[in-house]
Amino acid sequence: MPAAEAPPARPRRRWVAPTVAGVLSASLLGLFVLPLVALFADAGAAGIVQAATNAAFRTTIEFTLLASGIAVALGVVTGVPLGYVLARYRFRGRSVLESIVLVPVVIPHLIVGLALLLLLAPRAPLGSIVARLGIPVFDATAGVILVMLYVGASYVVLASQTAFAAVDDELVESARSLGASPTEAFLSVTLRSSARAIVTGALLMWARGVSEVGGFLLLAYAVNPSFPWSGPVTNTASVFIFNYYGIDPHAAVGFAAVLVLVSLAIFLGVRFLDRPGLAWTRGGWFS
Amino acid sequence: MTGLAVRGLTARRGAFLLGPVDLEVPRGQAIAVLGPSGAGKTTLLRTVAGFLAPDSGWVRWDGTDLGGTPPERRRFGFVPPNLGLFPDRTVRGNVAYPLRLAGRPDAAERSQQWIDRFDLGPLAERYPRDLSSGERARVAMARALAAEPVALLWDEPLAALDVDGRDALLRDLEELLEAEGIALVLVTHDPTTAATLASAYAVMAAGRLRFSGSPSALAAAPLDRFLARFLGYENLYGPAELRLARDRSLGGRLLRAAGPGGIVVPTDALRWRAGSGDARVAALRDAPGGWVVALRDGPLLFRVHVAGPLPGLRVGDAVDLDLDEGALRPLELADGEP
Repeated sequence: MPAAEAPPARPRRRWVAPTVAGVLSASLLGLFVLPLVALFADAGAAGIVQAATNAAFRTTIEFTLLASGIAVALGVVTGVPLGYVLARYRFRGRSVLESIVLVPVVIPHLIVGLALLLLLAPRAPLGSIVARLGIPVFDATAGVILVMLYVGASYVVLASQTAFAAVDDELVESARSLGASPTEAFLSVTLRSSARAIVTGALLMWARGVSEVGGFLLLAYAVNPSFPWSGPVTNTASVFIFNYYGIDPHAAVGFAAVLVLVSLAIFLGVRFLDRPGLAWTRGGWFS
Repeated sequence: MTGLAVRGLTARRGAFLLGPVDLEVPRGQAIAVLGPSGAGKTTLLRTVAGFLAPDSGWVRWDGTDLGGTPPERRRFGFVPPNLGLFPDRTVRGNVAYPLRLAGRPDAAERSQQWIDRFDLGPLAERYPRDLSSGERARVAMARALAAEPVALLWDEPLAALDVDGRDALLRDLEELLEAEGIALVLVTHDPTTAATLASAYAVMAAGRLRFSGSPSALAAAPLDRFLARFLGYENLYGPAELRLARDRSLGGRLLRAAGPGGIVVPTDALRWRAGSGDARVAALRDAPGGWVVALRDGPLLFRVHVAGPLPGLRVGDAVDLDLDEGALRPLELADGEP
């Protein structure tokens, strides 16, 4: 038998892997973007303008932004200290606390609303206290804020925890040695260098609150005027659009497009603040 | 006494035990704290600075016990190994930090003075990440001094500097310590830094003070491997190495003179010349200002420095090698050495 010739070297296909990866990535990115394109195409410029000038929708947007803003304030006040504790202290049960912080991410939000309803029903122990204080929760502003706090505060905790953990002990000790009390060192070093991450987490929480729907379905489907909301009876934005879709689908699409624009504006704010080396975090604040 | 005094200081950090340590640093003087990694130098500095509470013993300044004084009121400028510059503040912001904290109305002028003092003017608006290591060290020094400390606690602050930058800083610092009456505790691995600034040395090993005293006392102190290296000795031989050479006449003599940690053969303890002995020239290397000659006798290799041009030697030449036994330095076991 004659010696077999060496098999011809396989042509090397350097373009295969990048092409496969490119097509797969493009499919997913397309899935993210194309529905929004369809939404805006369907709404049309005139529809968006009409939606943006609709008084009832303006009310619901204003209410949603306000409620989410209040939720963010509460989330920062409670979440930043929790993030600090988780970042800077080692103690038994710390990992349990970290898991609790992640619970809202895995629980269906409809159930969040249901569970809050059960907890705060007037005849439940905690609910009776809240009722005696005269704070309405069911179909009220407080219920909306509670849901937003529940589903969004984790962002603030995680963002501040990560930021605090990244602060070098050497910086804090240097500050102390240069004359800073523990509080001054916290404000001028730890908090200052974490401020941007905390603001980013807060904006994410705000956007999360604005886009929430499931948690409101049982607890606060309609919102009656209650502190600090003095406007007419309304809904949160997503619930409003869901309602409207049964009445006038095309108008609902216009509202949806406006809500997306509002959310994107917040998102762009996050991306802007997240850019490293921005001037506003360097001077002024806590300096 | 005036200045820094530390007596019987012990502290615990995890499983690591520091002390007891005694130190005295008068105003305007410096002590160099030496020791291998893990000897407790940083723990000592952080305890003196007030970041670690001592288990026993005390730290005093001008006779006043600082036991209940938090770090920010000790006026000890603590400079950590990475300098601790605030990355989100400019050079000016860093230097002004202690002055603004103290609420001084002249913070701007004072910080400008320190910036000028350390030639940081052109860099004043830059951020630390845009500076060279030498510039960063100057900022750290300016900032520490702007706080008007009574003492400076420096943990390897000049480690990252090139020789030129280090020497420039040392000159500045030397002058300032004298003028301002600042006591300096300097943790360093660098003999030049220590020799320039320090009027006293403390050598630590395994958490304890192994030696403390003047530079001349340090030169005469019992050697271990760490100290021998610090003092610049090159020819160190451990017990195991010497036992391999016990059959040779030179090796036998070294083994008899050795301490538990082995022996140091200073260059001036070696007598050698080209001849007919069984030692050989093992290597020749051109060095600035002369030659480095490696001489092999059995398993032992000796390095000697020859000034000026080489006297016609070649690798493989036979050499007569002898020892001045009076100049040999036996080695102690370092703490923690097996």
